[in-house]
Amino acid sequence: MSVDKQSIECTNDKEIIVIKDMNKWYGNFHVLKDINLTVKKGERIVVCGPSGSGKSTMIRCINRLEEFQRGSLVVNDVEMIEDVKNIEAIRREVGMVFQHFNLFPHLTILENLTLGPIWVQKRPKEEAEAIAMKYLERVQIPDQALKYPGQLSGGQQQRVAIARSLCMSPQIMLFDEPTSALDPEMIKEVLDVMVELADEGMTMICVTHEMGFAKKVADRVIFMDAGEIVEENEPNEFFNNPQMDRTQLFLSQILEH
Amino acid sequence: MQAREFKALPDQPAPVSTTGPIAWMKDNLFSSVFNIAVTVIITSALISILPGVLDWLIFSANWSGTSQADCVKDGACWVFIQAWSQQIFYGSYPDGEIWRVNLSLMLLAGVIALSFTLPARLRNKIAVPAYLLLPFVCLLFLDGSNIGLTPVSTDLWGGFSLNVLIAAASIIIAFPFGFLWALGRQSDMPFARSVSVTCIEFFRGTPILALFFMGSVMLPLFFPSDVTVDKLLRVWIILVLFMSSYMAEVFRSGFQAIPQGQYEAANSIGLGYWQKTLLIIFPQVIKIAMPNILATFVMVFKNTVFLLVIAVPEMLQVIMSALSNSNWLGGHAVEGYLFVGFIFWICCFSMSLLATSIEKKLDTSHQN
Repeated sequence: MSVDKQSIECTNDKEIIVIKDMNKWYGNFHVLKDINLTVKKGERIVVCGPSGSGKSTMIRCINRLEEFQRGSLVVNDVEMIEDVKNIEAIRREVGMVFQHFNLFPHLTILENLTLGPIWVQKRPKEEAEAIAMKYLERVQIPDQALKYPGQLSGGQQQRVAIARSLCMSPQIMLFDEPTSALDPEMIKEVLDVMVELADEGMTMICVTHEMGFAKKVADRVIFMDAGEIVEENEPNEFFNNPQMDRTQLFLSQILEH
Repeated sequence: MQAREFKALPDQPAPVSTTGPIAWMKDNLFSSVFNIAVTVIITSALISILPGVLDWLIFSANWSGTSQADCVKDGACWVFIQAWSQQIFYGSYPDGEIWRVNLSLMLLAGVIALSFTLPARLRNKIAVPAYLLLPFVCLLFLDGSNIGLTPVSTDLWGGFSLNVLIAAASIIIAFPFGFLWALGRQSDMPFARSVSVTCIEFFRGTPILALFFMGSVMLPLFFPSDVTVDKLLRVWIILVLFMSSYMAEVFRSGFQAIPQGQYEAANSIGLGYWQKTLLIIFPQVIKIAMPNILATFVMVFKNTVFLLVIAVPEMLQVIMSALSNSNWLGGHAVEGYLFVGFIFWICCFSMSLLATSIEKKLDTSHQN
């Protein structure tokens, strides 16, 4: 696919995330090494790799839950710099779903969902609640609205977490191992919601080991190891014809069972 | 092959022998030889001591009269407490003005009741400002000079009402102060952090008695000779600073118990620092730290009796001067101190009950 400068204006080809030479250290430990990644609007990207490979760290840099020390990051035409304004502008466009859901345990499901619209987007409460109910219906748990997170199953909590991000109408969704803490029977209900979201054209970066999900929805699969992007390809090629020996080893290990 | 239908077994009641009072006693009182021995020893000790104690406290006690001469029976002389009750509760506050003390106490009770009965939505908007205004409204009424009432010098304030009001006033102001210090202590800004750490460590590491002496003896040396800061005001400031340092550490332990994911989730939604702190972190910290917050309240409340060392006529001080009164030299120390202990115990125990009910109210972790 060749893209010239003019066609970037076209919405479907707009480069919404541009990471250039990103490097990150924890103290002296070099966690991310020369990461280069460009994501176009509407693209679905799956990131996989062994634990400690830096995949979570990389996506957490995108909404600045982690800082990087060298390189550049542009999200939706806003450059990530120290300025609080830029950070807030980027966080408004980027939703994130965590491995451990991170719902606010002292608030009801509905309050979890309306918090952002009310306090960040300054919407009136009625409007925020209407939006919240819309997304709760989309993840199929409107009847749980008045319960507390502790009363829901893991799968339900993760769907609430997805709905909470969607309430902020983000342009990009980041998923950080969203199904790793779930029982097998609950993984499917969360993946179904994510597939639906992908079908609607949401830009997604998803760190996951659900290879079925990757084959089904990903436009590109990225394999990381030791802080580097080792291989990057469209799913068919990635799974059937991996180019690097490290990728082959990883795939043989996770697909064995 | 056709799959067979899976049917879950119905629930059955637990065997009778494992529930009910008999089973409870068997499990808890007579489960082993040692347990049986403990049960027998404690029960027989209670049987031999209780009748005598109850007889002295209640049945043979002297309940009515006006002077020491009315205490003719063997038991406790509660007449002593009765005769001094006004001083014990109000100190030397003038007779005709005591309604102002009662009003202050009622305002305090009213605000506490308000914060428990208001729906959550209004609680933050009404109860919080009410709490913060309360000490100053009480001050206006008790002093009186600024609102056209007879001025009452703070030398005359005293008794148990003073213990309650100064403790409440300190707790109310120390609460936000302590929270700010705790925030400062974990702040990224070196200046805010070092100021907070210094304050916390100084006031926490100094005995309250030393602080009271410093406040009453040393502080005036730093002021110009024509400026006098009221003694009670100085005491209040010291109690606030002392308690803030304890509250700051209580809050800090709460902060540390909040999972990092809560901050990350709040950040990813785009909440700012104060929104994150007040909407997400603070409510969870309060819940986690509730038992320690209560312990600090109780500690400060009980520490108000130390005010007697700088001659503030709080409850214990009143009892002690009553004991040395020439009309009451019959040795009523036991009654006096028991009464002080009893009143403080009643108050602290009700605070415990209140705190337990708050904890239940805040607990949203219940599983299905």
